[in-house]
Amino acid sequence: MDIRIQDSKRWMGARLERKEDLRLVTGQGKYLADIVLPGMLHAVFVRSEYAHARITGIDTSAARELPGVVDVITGEEMKAKVKSLRQSVLLPNLPAKYPEYWALAVDKVKYHGDPVAVVIARDKYVAEDAAELVVVDYEELPVVVDAEQALAPGAVKVHDDEADNEMFAMTFTGGATPEEQQRNDEEVERIFQGADVVVSNRFRVHRTGITPMEPRGVLCDWSLADGLTAYITTQRPHIDRLALIDILDIPGEKVRVIAPRDQGGGFGVKAPFFRENVVISYAARKLNKPVRWIESRYESLMSVGQERDQINDLEVAATKDGKLLAMRNRGIANNGTGQTGVYWGFVMPFLGQVEMPNVYTWEKGDIKLRVATTNKACLTPSRAFGHFPTRFAIERSVDMVARRCGLEPSEVRRRNMVPKLPYTTITGEYLDSGDFLKVWDNLMAHVDLAAFRKEQEAARAHGRYLGIGFACGAELSGVASELLVPMENQPGYGAATVRIDPRGKVLIFGGDAPGGQGHETTVAQVVAATFGIDPSDSLVTTGDTGSTPFGAGTIGARAGSYFVSAVHKACKELKEKITYVLAHDLGVRATAEEFAFTNGDVIYLRDPSRKKTFREIVERIIMFPINLPEGEVGGLEATAFFEAAKPMICFNADCCIVEVNPVNGEFKIKRWVTAEDVGNVINQNIVDGQMHGAIVQGLSNVIFEEFIYTDEGQQLTADFENYKLATAADVPDIELTYASTPCPHTPLGTRGIGEGRPSSIPGALCNAVCDALSPFGIEITELPLRPGTLWAKIRDAQQLRN
Amino acid sequence: MFPAHIEEYVRPATVAEALAANARYEAGEAMFIAGGQSLMQAIKSRMARPRCLIDLQAIPTLKGIAFDDGLRIGAMTRYVEIAGDERLDGAFAALRDAAGHVGDRQVRNRGTIGGSCCWNYVASCTPAVVLGLGGVMELTDASGARRAVPAGEFLIGPLETARRDDEMLEAVRFDRPAARTGSAYRKWGLVKDALPVVGICVKVELDAGGTCTAASIALSGLSAGAQLADAGAAQLVGSRGEPDALARAFGAIAESVDVQSDKWATDEYRKQLIRTLGAEVASTAFARAAS
Amino acid sequence: MQTVRITVNGELFEETIPERMLLVDFLRDRLALTGTHVGCTHEGVCGACTIHLDGEAVKSCMMLAVQADGHAVTTVEGLSSNGDLSVLQRSFREHHGLQCGFCTPGILMNMTDFLQRNPEPTDEQIREGLIGNLCRCTGYVHIVKAVREAARTLASGNG
Repeated sequence: MDIRIQDSKRWMGARLERKEDLRLVTGQGKYLADIVLPGMLHAVFVRSEYAHARITGIDTSAARELPGVVDVITGEEMKAKVKSLRQSVLLPNLPAKYPEYWALAVDKVKYHGDPVAVVIARDKYVAEDAAELVVVDYEELPVVVDAEQALAPGAVKVHDDEADNEMFAMTFTGGATPEEQQRNDEEVERIFQGADVVVSNRFRVHRTGITPMEPRGVLCDWSLADGLTAYITTQRPHIDRLALIDILDIPGEKVRVIAPRDQGGGFGVKAPFFRENVVISYAARKLNKPVRWIESRYESLMSVGQERDQINDLEVAATKDGKLLAMRNRGIANNGTGQTGVYWGFVMPFLGQVEMPNVYTWEKGDIKLRVATTNKACLTPSRAFGHFPTRFAIERSVDMVARRCGLEPSEVRRRNMVPKLPYTTITGEYLDSGDFLKVWDNLMAHVDLAAFRKEQEAARAHGRYLGIGFACGAELSGVASELLVPMENQPGYGAATVRIDPRGKVLIFGGDAPGGQGHETTVAQVVAATFGIDPSDSLVTTGDTGSTPFGAGTIGARAGSYFVSAVHKACKELKEKITYVLAHDLGVRATAEEFAFTNGDVIYLRDPSRKKTFREIVERIIMFPINLPEGEVGGLEATAFFEAAKPMICFNADCCIVEVNPVNGEFKIKRWVTAEDVGNVINQNIVDGQMHGAIVQGLSNVIFEEFIYTDEGQQLTADFENYKLATAADVPDIELTYASTPCPHTPLGTRGIGEGRPSSIPGALCNAVCDALSPFGIEITELPLRPGTLWAKIRDAQQLRN
Repeated sequence: MFPAHIEEYVRPATVAEALAANARYEAGEAMFIAGGQSLMQAIKSRMARPRCLIDLQAIPTLKGIAFDDGLRIGAMTRYVEIAGDERLDGAFAALRDAAGHVGDRQVRNRGTIGGSCCWNYVASCTPAVVLGLGGVMELTDASGARRAVPAGEFLIGPLETARRDDEMLEAVRFDRPAARTGSAYRKWGLVKDALPVVGICVKVELDAGGTCTAASIALSGLSAGAQLADAGAAQLVGSRGEPDALARAFGAIAESVDVQSDKWATDEYRKQLIRTLGAEVASTAFARAAS
Repeated sequence: MQTVRITVNGELFEETIPERMLLVDFLRDRLALTGTHVGCTHEGVCGACTIHLDGEAVKSCMMLAVQADGHAVTTVEGLSSNGDLSVLQRSFREHHGLQCGFCTPGILMNMTDFLQRNPEPTDEQIREGLIGNLCRCTGYVHIVKAVREAARTLASGNG
């Protein structure tokens, strides 16, 4: 084997034990709630118990008098002392309504849980005692929680300073001008008129999302000399820092944001910029003491992690041979108040519509979205960012087309899958690389469909209902600037600083902030593969704006796509310098390719006896920079930025086999098998784990989880008794298979994976259930999917037949 | 999240000491704490704000499962102990069925039969099973006076029992069962072992020929709390547990009992669960009685 | 205020604390043993706070510290001895049984107790044993594997 690649072969794809795990299995992780600063005060928020009400008075006197209470801060004070959260760094570059808001509620509360005041005390128990003593007078206002009602003329307005509740609306097809769009829509209508098959459904997906096991927290330290140090459970420390600078008017050299090294999951929920960041920062500055807020689960379930909540009226036109022709969709998203920094809630449904065509070829489409503000919590990004509902709609529709045509749904998918990449969809989404058909065929090779159909038929004869369902799709692999700048007003490039030390150790710094994805390990593997050292010889630091290069954060599967690529690029630069100096020292003329970094050595390939250890050569360059080549200077540190020319994707396909008991509607997943294109793999265990986690999150969303609001906007699901997450006893084992194509746009051929993965789950599961129940003619168009609702549908279908 | 101020915590060594501590406070201001798996939820959410907590963990007479003339389970006996006691079979198997699936194993290491019955949470399993098996609650007051209250009288309604403020539950007692008595309990929830949407306890006594001579059915998960379903139980008598007999019995219950619709199930689905789950549970009870 | 004597990971602590202090806060805030985590409010469902009370897995957020007076508590920090990880800890590392690690200490404590009482569990039994521990990252697959393999290792005497 070419020794230039043997370290790559050793470390890339390995199931290396994670570096993070030693501290985590011994309870030595340091999460935000584990950080204690001397003299630290504790904050507890007072939150609205009404969904929509005017604040007519706040009496904090009783709270202030409680021994141990240091301060109580209300919205009026925040508004007077600190700017609003409508700052350009926190605004997407998309045309929408951006109603003004401050760090605490001012004038009125707009959702059940809206923060109205904050109590700061020396003890957290006392802070909660005091929070109970804050008296807020409310004048209740009419409430609107339904998106369609919110968009109807004369609806209750959530934001007084806006004309109506339509926060955002967009057409995603047909071109840039209204004239082009109209011509397009007319053509779509013509296609529908002439089509053999039209399926038309209203798809409803409930309000659900991802709930990390660690709730949010903010710990702020302030000193006159050094300014603000804010520890935040955030996926975006650099962006948060900019927002704090702008909102609190603190000069940038005096603001540092640190995402703790250990975070208990993000999944998008910790990606927005939240009001609590401002409140706690302000409190620390005002009181000249560290202040810490740890979110309770109750607060968390009421304020964040709520996503999906969409209606999609989707029509699909096809030929009788199952060829998809055109789609027409009217999406309605329920955005809640729409007020969180960076996303304003609507960016998620925006992306959902962009991905509506999925991975199929279409002649034309007519896709439009309206986003409504209501008196619910604002949507926060949740893994499968925006497209969980749209993927459900399209994958169910494909099955319905197949059924109408008398074809296998898997075959209809295959016939319509984009056959060759790159490909630009009808919404302009760029699918950069991969071989969908290869992945699909790999899945089908693991599923004996013919045998299953026989088994299904035999079972039906005995009154047992087995079903098989498929779904597939492409997820973003990192988010390119060309997408991220319009969507989130942020750059998409990955950035990494690689510093080699004189002992041959490698320190890597990244501006992102992971929450369990194992970046310390995957990056160490990349560095080991590149420099021929051991993964234990490197250390990854992320999350600290004081020491890491600027990056947009850990979002959208950036690590495998952008971050490691930037790491590799920086390493490559350093290899050039190392080999240049080594060649000079050896007295040979040689390019970087004529050296191998392997097994701790740097070897001159023309004469392998001439080599230095990695440690020797780097020490020489850093500590003893004399007799260097002309013009060269000592030191070994490089910062590199990586951005692929176009947005990138990864692709996956799911197959679910289920048995349904028509007597009580219970459905049991007998098998879940997938096929994935993840590009080149760095750590196979980590990739497997990402898939398992995403699929189970998807199942939990579909079956168990639902955020429920009454018509008065009262939240009924603010604890884990009522918002039920799947336990290990509720979900099946998962079989993963891989049929990957290296990504041609990243230096290592890796892809970012795992972000959008949950979105195929509802389609695959519901397709399987509908397949099982096809004798009853049941079609599922609404989530959640529960035994009770399924039983009712079966019973109704049976009654219809009798 | 955090409890309100608690003035006093005591850990008495005897029932008398516990009741004496209780007597030092106004009614409702002192609370007994057993395993705390329900009470701590109330204390942490501040729905309950006891001035004094009287911890029963150190009173040995409250613990233990004893078979003498019948069965006597000390109030502080934990779910894990009940679930693990193989002597609780046949007539008392429903106790193990319920105890083995309350919450999760961490909860079962703390939660107690007495705590559950006295809390009488609307959806709880244990009160329903105690009711279905004809349990009798042994109460003692501060003067040492004792009384025995049948479960049906004890369990008044959700979060409400016949225990007076100056009384403590010492044990739950069951009469010695007739030969060929079997019981079973199962519940249905959205996630495994969740608080029941519906739970059904069935106890049957069979004669030598396998015909049911007496039956008792209790339900959990309904908005009126643990309750007997006498009409359905009567329909089991005289049957041998045949499918159509079970269908009739549970069909009758489904049609007559008050079921609610809530976020977990519609009333119609609860009725269907009563029919299907009930038949399964009864079938198991019959099989256990016969063996 | 009450003075309690609680043995934690083999060390006796005598502390004066408010009656209402939760056991999990006693461990985390008073003793600086932050390996035990808090993931829910009053409901006690998530299991991240699971510790051993006299060797049995219980949720420390659902107890007051005063209830542990006179008892022995083991936290995740007490699972390894002399720097050697337990079989279960090693198995979690080997089989990638964790990602963000927030639920992990609670799972390690619960499963340590579980394996002592169920030395030859089926996967179904492991999954049922895990009902009291919520995890979002892993989808439970590798957790079940880690527990299964740890059971095998312990049974073979290679612990």
